[in-house]
Amino acid sequence: MDPIVTVSNVGKSYRRYHPDRPGTIQEAVAKGLRRMRHLERFWGLRDISFTVPAGRTVGIVGANGSGKSTLLRLIGGVGRPDTGHIDVHGRIGALLDLSAGFHPELTGRENAILAGILNGLTRKQVLERMDEIVAFAEVEDALDNPIRTFSSGMQMRLGFAVAVHTQPDILLIDEALSVGDISFQKKCLDRMQQIKASGCAILLVSHESSTVEDFCDDAIWLNAGRLIAQGSATDIVRQYQAGMAGASGH
Amino acid sequence: MPALAARRDTRIFEWAQTRDLLRELIARDIKLRYRGSMLGILWTLLNPLAELLVLYFVFGTVLQVTIPNFPAYLFTGLLVYGWFQTSVNFATGAVVANRELVRRPGVPVLILPIVTVASNLVHFVLSLPILIGLLLISHVPLTSAALLLPGLIAIEFVLILGFAYPVAVVNVWFRDTQHVLRIALQLLFYMTPIFYKTSTVPQNLQWWYRINPLTHLVDAYRAVLMRGELPEAGGLTYLIVVSIALCLIGLAWYRRASYRFADEV
Repeated sequence: MDPIVTVSNVGKSYRRYHPDRPGTIQEAVAKGLRRMRHLERFWGLRDISFTVPAGRTVGIVGANGSGKSTLLRLIGGVGRPDTGHIDVHGRIGALLDLSAGFHPELTGRENAILAGILNGLTRKQVLERMDEIVAFAEVEDALDNPIRTFSSGMQMRLGFAVAVHTQPDILLIDEALSVGDISFQKKCLDRMQQIKASGCAILLVSHESSTVEDFCDDAIWLNAGRLIAQGSATDIVRQYQAGMAGASGH
Repeated sequence: MPALAARRDTRIFEWAQTRDLLRELIARDIKLRYRGSMLGILWTLLNPLAELLVLYFVFGTVLQVTIPNFPAYLFTGLLVYGWFQTSVNFATGAVVANRELVRRPGVPVLILPIVTVASNLVHFVLSLPILIGLLLISHVPLTSAALLLPGLIAIEFVLILGFAYPVAVVNVWFRDTQHVLRIALQLLFYMTPIFYKTSTVPQNLQWWYRINPLTHLVDAYRAVLMRGELPEAGGLTYLIVVSIALCLIGLAWYRRASYRFADEV
């Protein structure tokens, strides 16, 4: 069977601009357009290749700025790699921002409906699952209040609930679990086990090595945009921890 | 056969899904604009009416323009231009004001300027009954030519998109685009036959009115609504060609730029 996600030789570069780059038309007229051009490119990701088969869970570990979130965004179809390509077969459920892409002025319900549609459902399908989503997120009382009145934990719970109730073929989760309390974390992990068992591929970024070690089958280790190692979660987490301890020992 | 049926079902599902996405985003756009304002959508309807009163006072009463059915003539122009102007203005925010959508998986960013133009179309359509009422009061009979109205709306939609796409991109780099745009749009308002007739413009300026697509657009609306006749063929053809060309060029540029939106907003 074809893997759900195939990442081949993916590179993503960012542009570094002049500090005096004009940000308004007014400045551009005054300073000229010369400084609009980027000074250099730097690679946020370089030569990344791996696959995620159905029903497998892959953890991504690495220091801050190593490209973990960029990688998840690209797999989610936000932006496009500068080299290589990414193939994704199936519906994506994602929780990449703690705010889940919610708009602060809209209510929890309005945001949840839009998020469900953005996860690939029709409005009707989202409404059918609404009770389940709300019960899972434990936000019944606040549902019709603006999201800005939600605590960050509540926002995360609602975002997570939508993402896991849309029958995704692939689930992308970035750091979200660290916001919830222990009991909710457990609930999330249980739910992820469930959808994993039904064949969903899961990609998980977490700073807590124990989460990756306990929950993931495989892991990849990113450092400065490069893939350092990939393999079983236990091995990679051990290597990563050893590497980090070595780095901080100097 | 089952494979074919399955493919058809997938198609139908995808269509329903895209329709719901568009509807939800348009509703979101409108809700966000009026959240916290008591009169809500009424403001948008009052705006062209207020403009109508002011311009009618200046040109109808003080300067005594001799265009027959001047209020209806004026209001047609104001509504048609109004949709264009507010959409292009709001298009500056189509990307930068939707940061949370641009950075979220599942959002086809090509749709964002379409949402802006469509949510302003809702206002335009809500204003149409006022225009029809004005036509009836002025004893201008509606003929079957008015059935072409949806076609003209579709053309205007494409024309506005042709401006909305590039404006959304430029504002990603230059955040003061809206200020410059406001001046340009005001200038364009006066250089489009909204409260005067093209025929009264001096000969040496006529070229501008021939190349300005809005001239032909406003004239086409007036033809089907006020004169009860088909739009002038040459002008209409030019309008359609220009609208589609601008839209395709704008879209191509926007698509290229969109790969970096998430990095730049």
